[in-house]
Amino acid sequence: MNQNNISIEAVNLTKVYSRGSEKIRAVNDVSLRINRGDFISIIGPSGSGKTTLINLLGFLDNPTSGELRLGERAIFNHGKHLSERELTKIRREIYGYIFQNFYLIPTLTVMENVMLPLTFYMKPGTEDEAVKLLKLLGMEHRKDHLPGQISGGEMQRVAIARAMVNRPEILLADEPTGNLDTKRSGEIVEVLKGLNRSVGLTIIMVTHNPELARCAARMFEMRDGQISEIDRKSP
Amino acid sequence: MPISTKKWIRSAICTEIFLMLLFVLIGHRGAWGAVGCDLNDPDRDVARLFPESTGYKTHYVSVDRKGGQPLLTKIETRLGDKFHGIYETIDVPYTIYEIFANKKGIGYIHGVNQKGQFGGIQVFVVLDLEGRIRGFYIQKMTSRYAGKLRDANFGKQFIGLTIKDFDLYDVISGKASAKVEAIKNPVPEAETDFRAALRATKKNLILMDEFVYSAQ
Amino acid sequence: MITKFQVAYKNLQRKRTRSLLTLVGIALSAWVLVSLLGFNQGYEKALNQDIDNMGFELMIMAKGCPYEAATLMLKGGTGLKYIGESIMEDIAKEPEVDKAFPMLMSAVFDPNKGQSGGIAGYFGVDAKSFSELKPSLKFRQGKWFTSTDTYEAVMGYEAAELEQREVGDMILMPEKNVEFKVVGILERTGTQDDGTIFVPLKTLQKIFNRPNELTTIGIKLKKGVDSARFEEKLYKLPDVQVVSLAQVKDTIMKLISTAKVMVLSIASIAILIAMVGVINTILMSVHERFQEIGILKTIGAMPWDIFKLIWIETLILCAIGGILGIGLALILSKVTGILIRYVMPYAPSGGLVLIDLRLVLVTMAAILCIGLLSGLYPAWKAGRIRPLEAIRSEVAR
Repeated sequence: MNQNNISIEAVNLTKVYSRGSEKIRAVNDVSLRINRGDFISIIGPSGSGKTTLINLLGFLDNPTSGELRLGERAIFNHGKHLSERELTKIRREIYGYIFQNFYLIPTLTVMENVMLPLTFYMKPGTEDEAVKLLKLLGMEHRKDHLPGQISGGEMQRVAIARAMVNRPEILLADEPTGNLDTKRSGEIVEVLKGLNRSVGLTIIMVTHNPELARCAARMFEMRDGQISEIDRKSP
Repeated sequence: MPISTKKWIRSAICTEIFLMLLFVLIGHRGAWGAVGCDLNDPDRDVARLFPESTGYKTHYVSVDRKGGQPLLTKIETRLGDKFHGIYETIDVPYTIYEIFANKKGIGYIHGVNQKGQFGGIQVFVVLDLEGRIRGFYIQKMTSRYAGKLRDANFGKQFIGLTIKDFDLYDVISGKASAKVEAIKNPVPEAETDFRAALRATKKNLILMDEFVYSAQ
Repeated sequence: MITKFQVAYKNLQRKRTRSLLTLVGIALSAWVLVSLLGFNQGYEKALNQDIDNMGFELMIMAKGCPYEAATLMLKGGTGLKYIGESIMEDIAKEPEVDKAFPMLMSAVFDPNKGQSGGIAGYFGVDAKSFSELKPSLKFRQGKWFTSTDTYEAVMGYEAAELEQREVGDMILMPEKNVEFKVVGILERTGTQDDGTIFVPLKTLQKIFNRPNELTTIGIKLKKGVDSARFEEKLYKLPDVQVVSLAQVKDTIMKLISTAKVMVLSIASIAILIAMVGVINTILMSVHERFQEIGILKTIGAMPWDIFKLIWIETLILCAIGGILGIGLALILSKVTGILIRYVMPYAPSGGLVLIDLRLVLVTMAAILCIGLLSGLYPAWKAGRIRPLEAIRSEVAR
């Protein structure tokens, strides 16, 4: 396989937590290859380790052992430990994140929320990205509203725009529809699918909901710290 | 410690005390501003002049702020005399004490400065809600006979009088209506100060009429 | 693009009441600091002015502590010890002396001042030498006495105002029942002269039966004379005490320094209290925004960015609070001055609370520095938040 096609590759990735004297292997020897432009979903019960895995894949945490590569670069290997500063640098280059609780800043308007990442870090050429994204996601008419004045579905769109403003390669979506009703959930997944198709965005989505999980091109199941890919029965 | 040092410490401390003395005795007043006429101890004086009172509120007015030159002209016409000299001016601040008994207004106390023969005379009238004099108080007067004019018996002669009674009093000639005519000067030698007290009373009542009673 | 300043400012509006209360705390401590420092400055300046206004460098008085004299004086009549005019004549002959100024201070009791009467003081001077002593003294009306023993008076601005006197009017000395004609009224000087009634020295001596006696002699030395040396000479005179006004100033300044230290301690405590308030407010705010700060890190904020954000919030609070407090102090400085005068038994004339640009800038700088210090801990704590902990801090899955 052409290395340039690989977005993320995990090899024997393990994360062990200590809880008192007990040692918990939240992620146990996981190997995974995600290609550029993939839309994958990870499904599993509570305590399966899917959140821990997505945190590792998203460079929100250091693994205990194993390898993690971004494209050709080996970021984690041989027990290497990166500081918070170093992790942040990687994250802001490559990743965008959306969460179940949206986490918009309540005192900033929709436009200001979307532009917020640019305050900390701005990739060249992204000055007008906020406006474009709001248009794309159908939120232009709400740009001067505060988060408290818009619906849950609209908030998640804003969160997606914010996550996309610095043109990330990979979008991590941790239960993105967890706080939305069925209709809005469907809308959001369609938005994600649209982004995946139009800009070739790699999307890793974690969800409880099997129906939503099936909307992704590839499905994985996580159980007791181990992952397995599910054969897609329907497109 | 050398004798000279001891000496200057002692003399320095004594001098400071002496300086304080100097300032206190000379009657040094620190406050600036045009001279008005305030009660020396409002808490004590209001209680004495209005025994039934439970509180008071202090208002500051001046002719220039209340109505300017037109008001001054009106007052002078009523007084029958112009405002004199460098101290009786349009910007003099007047202090009106509004007296209360259990949140209900019951009257006023107001003082004016008047030029006397040997010094300033401070004349206070104590008024009820209809503008009738119920008390008369000369807070300050410099005269050999000040005692007689500050005596309660002299003040009693003013009780019950109103601005209407004083309207006909001519401050220049001394001609008066019956009621004011009845006010007797206990000390003929102090005629100047007696007339000054009457002028002060008339001016006081006119000002109260313009500032308070007409406005009601 | 939205700036960190805008983000910080909007964050403070989240809990308006809390931000407002913290602001008020800072404003009050700033007000206290500026007012107290302003009072220090003002008092020193006013005192210097009063002492400089005396016009002479040395004072000679009768020996004996004025405590006793004060008690006697306040009971009415004379009581101060006196020195003979001959002493002045002798001193004036000394080569070091430029001029000597005779002064006699007397007081009477006036029963017709208010409810319980009051003291009326009179200052006997030699017009010629007094006007040489204070060449800047100007007349609003009239001039000095026509001769040395007339029954004429010159009144200070406020003394004349109180008595409604103009040139040509008469005044009466109570108790002695002596009449004086007002021949001069001085312009306002902003010093103790404003409340003084000046009469000819000889006249006052006659009225109080103190021929050739004085209460004080003021001495002006020639230029270049060693004041301390000359004082030593004067100490040899019997029955007098010599006071150098420079030393009086020094003594009072030393007393003021003690007061200054006390004042600064009070102000420091006020600032400390405000600082604690600020730390508490910002810490609470960081705690409440735990998750949000974690998320900021996922959208690209480095630990230093978060630190700056929190620090800017602290600075904004301190800056606004400081400006409000200083503004309050400026507006109320006159009122504060009046209050101080009401409370203190002795206060020099002139403005007592002096707030100038330098003081404002120094106070503002102090408050901002304290703000920076206060914000350090909360900002550091916020910077260390890990996004993972923030995300995990909600319901575990």
